[in-house]
Amino acid sequence: MAAQVHARLIAAAFALLLPLLAGAQGRDLKTPQTPWSNLPVEEQRILAPLSGEWDRMPGYQQKRLQSTARKYPGMQPIQRERFEERITDWATMSPNQRKEARETFQGLQKLPPDKQHELRERWLKKREATQPPPGNPPAAPPR
Amino acid sequence: MNEKEFGQKLRPWLQRSADQVGELQATRLRASRLKAMENWREPVSLLGLVQVSGGTVQALRYTYLQRALLVLPVAALLAALALQSVTSDGDFGDLDAALLTQELPPDAYLDQDFRSWLHKSTRG
Repeated sequence: MAAQVHARLIAAAFALLLPLLAGAQGRDLKTPQTPWSNLPVEEQRILAPLSGEWDRMPGYQQKRLQSTARKYPGMQPIQRERFEERITDWATMSPNQRKEARETFQGLQKLPPDKQHELRERWLKKREATQPPPGNPPAAPPR
Repeated sequence: MNEKEFGQKLRPWLQRSADQVGELQATRLRASRLKAMENWREPVSLLGLVQVSGGTVQALRYTYLQRALLVLPVAALLAALALQSVTSDGDFGDLDAALLTQELPPDAYLDQDFRSWLHKSTRG
């Protein structure tokens, strides 16, 4: 008898849980779009590199970018510079790519600082080896 | 006649009946008595108003404890999900802002080599 009651309780809890999980997915798709013209002036200034594509972006992406842009006033100058350089590429990534990047970033944050530093240095060295430094285009072939 | 006097009057009758009980019945009665004694608990006063059998109180408490233990993890999960649904945009804002302003560009986190190094470091 008690086991039946417990089983019913668990079933009821899952019945409540499933729509909630499904709702989290559906919520992304239902988020209404915000036209560029409706953005506050300060957000328009920060998100200016995205003005051209803004109205074609899904509502959930706009909301996340707005939420990210709200952190801008509290950033250090070097962080602002990086933000401005990277925001366009970030916005053009697919949702899956952004999700994967977030997961990897969070994974990195969980490592001890010396390990994080080691991995960052390793990747920067790899990039230096594979890409010419910015502003130094590859030498023109001899005539 | 109080409870004690009644018991004393009843005792010879019970004794006489007890003498006629067979060995098997006596064993069963002894076992039942032991079981009853094991389950007996001092009566408990509820809010100083009502006397309730201690066994009943214990059974009630045990049932509530069991239910609480069963429901607690599910309730915690539901609360965490509800909280996540309320704060998810804010979390992404913090996370994305951190990701975009760190030393490495976002494409580093999509690089297969980088992910493999990270995976090895996490396991090591």
